Amino acid sequence: MTTDAKQSWAGERMPCLGGLCGALFAPRCTPEGKYLDTLPGLIAIALAFLTLSGAVMAAYYDPWHAFASVQFIRREVNNGWLVQAYHATGATALFGLVYLHLFRVMLTRAYRAPGEFAWWLAVKLLALLLFVGWMGFVLSGGAAGYWSLFNAANAAVSLPGAPGAVARWFLGGPAAPASLARLEMFHTVLALAALAVAGGLLAARRKVAPQPAPGKGVAFYPYYLAQYLAALAVFALIFSVLLFFAPHFGQPAVNALAADPLTLPAGTALPWYLLPLAGVADALPGLWGGVAGVAGALVVLAALPWLDRAGPDGAKGKLYCALTWILALDVLALGATSAAHDNPQAPLLLGLFTLWYFFHFLVLTPLVTAMEAK
Amino acid sequence: MRRFFAPLLALGLAAAGAAQAEDTLTPLHFQSQGALGSIDKAAAQRGFLVYQTVCAACHSANALHYRDLEALGLTPDQAAGVAAGVKLADGSAATLDSPFKDPAMPASAFGGAAPPDLSSIVAQRKHGTMYIYKLLTGYAAAPQSVNLLPGHYYNTAFPGGQIAMPPVLRDNAVTYADGTAATAQQEAADVAEFLTWAADPNLSARHQIGLRAVIFFLFLSLVALASKRGIWRERA
Ligand code: HEC
Repeated sequence: MTTDAKQSWAGERMPCLGGLCGALFAPRCTPEGKYLDTLPGLIAIALAFLTLSGAVMAAYYDPWHAFASVQFIRREVNNGWLVQAYHATGATALFGLVYLHLFRVMLTRAYRAPGEFAWWLAVKLLALLLFVGWMGFVLSGGAAGYWSLFNAANAAVSLPGAPGAVARWFLGGPAAPASLARLEMFHTVLALAALAVAGGLLAARRKVAPQPAPGKGVAFYPYYLAQYLAALAVFALIFSVLLFFAPHFGQPAVNALAADPLTLPAGTALPWYLLPLAGVADALPGLWGGVAGVAGALVVLAALPWLDRAGPDGAKGKLYCALTWILALDVLALGATSAAHDNPQAPLLLGLFTLWYFFHFLVLTPLVTAMEAK
Repeated sequence: MRRFFAPLLALGLAAAGAAQAEDTLTPLHFQSQGALGSIDKAAAQRGFLVYQTVCAACHSANALHYRDLEALGLTPDQAAGVAAGVKLADGSAATLDSPFKDPAMPASAFGGAAPPDLSSIVAQRKHGTMYIYKLLTGYAAAPQSVNLLPGHYYNTAFPGGQIAMPPVLRDNAVTYADGTAATAQQEAADVAEFLTWAADPNLSARHQIGLRAVIFFLFLSLVALASKRGIWRERA
């Protein structure tokens, strides 16, 4: 059967199957795809495997004895240590991919129409994953996770009016085993939601992918399949280095200590992927300052397609490209400063880096892109 | 050919000799450290002896079971024998529990500083293995400038310099079955290796599987990259 015959055979019997055949075999892709174009695909795959390992751990996890049950998984369950290390490293790898993807889209300015919807999905995925990641960190039952939950929960449930009521409903009161039982549920549900968003991201990106010149297109199979497999193999290589040789990468060491409501350990911190946003939250005063900082940081990111004044076909200037690199450094600096938050200079630096972050999006972006488009 | 192999053989014999009377103190090193490190079972067994005779008087390691000791090379009978020596009132001995029956007792005995559980202590401290060694060998006479709190001892490795744990290791605090000289340093190094194993019982397996996985994915990456280039070249 030719490709067309296959497609119509399947399409007549089950339309979506015909669509799948078309996606695999029709010569619809441009021939010069980059390896980094596979990032959304890798994100979906990493997320799917993360969900699988999470499902295995859920069989043994017990929110009422959180720390002990994680110890049980690591020490007693057959190959439990591997699954647990896989889950922890998977979170690191997933955030690495998502941050890299966002940065690349900013650099290539693929967020401009018609790519803005895919961009929003990517930002939404980041926001969801940050939340899911934080909950996973708390679920570990370690001292760092416990005190992070304690601070967040106490602040949230003491809010007046509706926000406080929602927080009480969500957490079931301040940091307690009941909160962990609820968080375990939300951790799972929102992870599945993230999987759906990742699928949406793939679909939205396929729709706006550049079309090949007539007669010049290539099919997904075998060309892009080979590319995906190569990207996946390299990713698996990096992943296994992390998994087997740095399974606690980016995790605060205090989290190896069981939570104790009576002792606040020195040097509590967050996993690396939460640090930049935590830095923004710390830089702004008060509870509402923190909430506004986190929400604002994500909102300005999502608003990028509007903040970029160059228009869909405007020139891509060198200066704005350089500014995007500086923004990446700024975010790294935010994370590093947030990790060293006991340093006496930290508040000042956090303030400066946060200021630059918002200055970049709200002032520099419209100004420089409009200027360069002329 | 023989000429080539003779030096190699000599080298191998020298290495084998060194392995027999493994000296981990000069210079101080731990087999468990480093990217491809693995638990030194002989040292960890000696370390368990130190833990059991000295540390267990104050510290629990309640994530460990006596049966876990089989991973260090003890036979099931030997592990059962160890457990039999510490039977609780109800006849059970499963985990390496706290010696204190009253949970409030240790803190009151040590001025509020309860001896922590040692199961994961190496993971909780920076450079945990080395830290344990330095802590146990770090006791010294307090300098003039230091005002020791009551019930505290000067220790160069402990943050703040004053620890509520007395110096517990001395030469020949235990007798090693394998003939290793039980100096205080040797005991400290051995118990550090034991606690490294306790915090990460799968360390050896992790490194072993990891090396194979990395080699496998390295080759897979090369093959996948080459086949991608091949397939795309055919198209042109
Ligand atoms: C006499 C009781 C006692 C014995 C025996 C004892 N310890 Fe301790 N240990 C303590 C107390 C009390 C503390 C808490 C010290 C403090 O916080 O000031 C402590 C703390 C520790 C710490 C934590 C230090 C830190 O960084 O917080 C380690 C590690 C430790 N002991 C290891 C050992 C080892 C290994 C042995 C056996 C060689 C041992 N201890 C034997 C009472 C004891």
